Amino acid sequence: MAVEVRRLTKRFGRRLVLDEIDLAVAPGESIVLTGPNGAGKTTLLRAMAAVIRPSSGDILWFGEPARGQHESRRLIGMAAHENRLYPHLTLRENLIFAARMCDVARPRERAESLLEAVGLQAHGDRLPPVFSKGMRQRSSLARALIHDPPILLLDEPFEGLDADADHWLSGLLQELRRQGRTLCFVLHDELKVRRLADRVLRLRQGRLLSDAASPAAVAHWSPAVQGLSAARVA
Amino acid sequence: MVKKLYWMISKDLLSECRSLRVWPAMLLLGVVVALMFAMQADLPPERLRQIVGGLLWLTIFFAGTLALDRSFAAEREDGCWEGLLSYPVSPTCVYLAKLAVNVVALAALECVLIPLFAILTDVPLLAHPGPIVAVAVLGNLGIAAAGTLLAAVVNTGRQSSYLLSLLVLPAVVPLVLGAAEATRLAVEHDFGPSWWRWVQLLAAFAIIFITAGIVLFEYAVEE
Repeated sequence: MAVEVRRLTKRFGRRLVLDEIDLAVAPGESIVLTGPNGAGKTTLLRAMAAVIRPSSGDILWFGEPARGQHESRRLIGMAAHENRLYPHLTLRENLIFAARMCDVARPRERAESLLEAVGLQAHGDRLPPVFSKGMRQRSSLARALIHDPPILLLDEPFEGLDADADHWLSGLLQELRRQGRTLCFVLHDELKVRRLADRVLRLRQGRLLSDAASPAAVAHWSPAVQGLSAARVA
Repeated sequence: MVKKLYWMISKDLLSECRSLRVWPAMLLLGVVVALMFAMQADLPPERLRQIVGGLLWLTIFFAGTLALDRSFAAEREDGCWEGLLSYPVSPTCVYLAKLAVNVVALAALECVLIPLFAILTDVPLLAHPGPIVAVAVLGNLGIAAAGTLLAAVVNTGRQSSYLLSLLVLPAVVPLVLGAAEATRLAVEHDFGPSWWRWVQLLAAFAIIFITAGIVLFEYAVEE
């Protein structure tokens, strides 16, 4: 398995955020985490990236424990709500720094190729705070992909994007799926869930309510949601 | 690891050069406190020689705390801290990089404050530069090592930066006292066994705090 989560529990103080989550993601599989706000989706994604310590339970990447294995972190790329770019370094400098931290062989060349891939080559010398929401999402993705990770974790990557950027990102994610990367998203848009997910996992109040193949999950949606989804497709 | 250390230090120094968020405020605070001490300390030269070490090191501590706090607060913007921790880099490397940047900041502060105190108080702080530099380096390392670790704890817990002074001061009181005493003895040209004991104490504290930082940093920054 690319990612395995075993009996994962996370508490912040007394607040139980994740409650004994079990989940396994096969290499090349694409899963989507859905659920209402506060369900624990982002926390689960952060735990899967091993940037927060579980209260109990284990995370494994390709069968190896994620915690304490700093070198294994290059298996993971994560694009979070925040773009994780230093505000006083240009986008190009940010990407080169990220590449150097991840031991990428030719950091400058890699940064240039990613700037081109995300369509921000003309903005490489600008500082991230001046970027629009769409540019921030693109630069965040470039940073997550800088070391060519086999596992990609994306927290609401479509949030705040206009139609063009939305279309571009859908295409990029489809391409990443074709390349055989393991993808884990947090998504709310059911159309995109249908298009991008092999499996849909629903969380509520820190518990995993369902873990189903994408079409099965669609079938379980309420008639109203199915109707809305069909209308949007039409 | 050495290369990554270098790139992390370069990144922090470049960010500071462009933003000027920490050093000007730190230096300004240091200069203002030094001026206040100098204006209020209307004392005979003999008495002034005895207290100038304490005043100098209190000023370095309070102004330096500003730099220690901001060294992590800057990482909080746009999730950069979580991004840094998600790289394949050991926490020890991150700690040493932050420590090095804080040592540079405190060294810059000392480069301004020691001559300033010498001018304002007319105490020959730089008559024997070697011993004063040795005390400054060891005191700097101790304060930066303890402060870097505690600043990481405070910032990970998203606590108010005021908490940092409260946490760092009790931890470094023996170090500030030792540095003040060693400075006083150096000003009085007394480099006997007493001076050496204070210098050894400073070195011991620096080693203890750096070791503690290396061992505990990983746990200090985990959420």
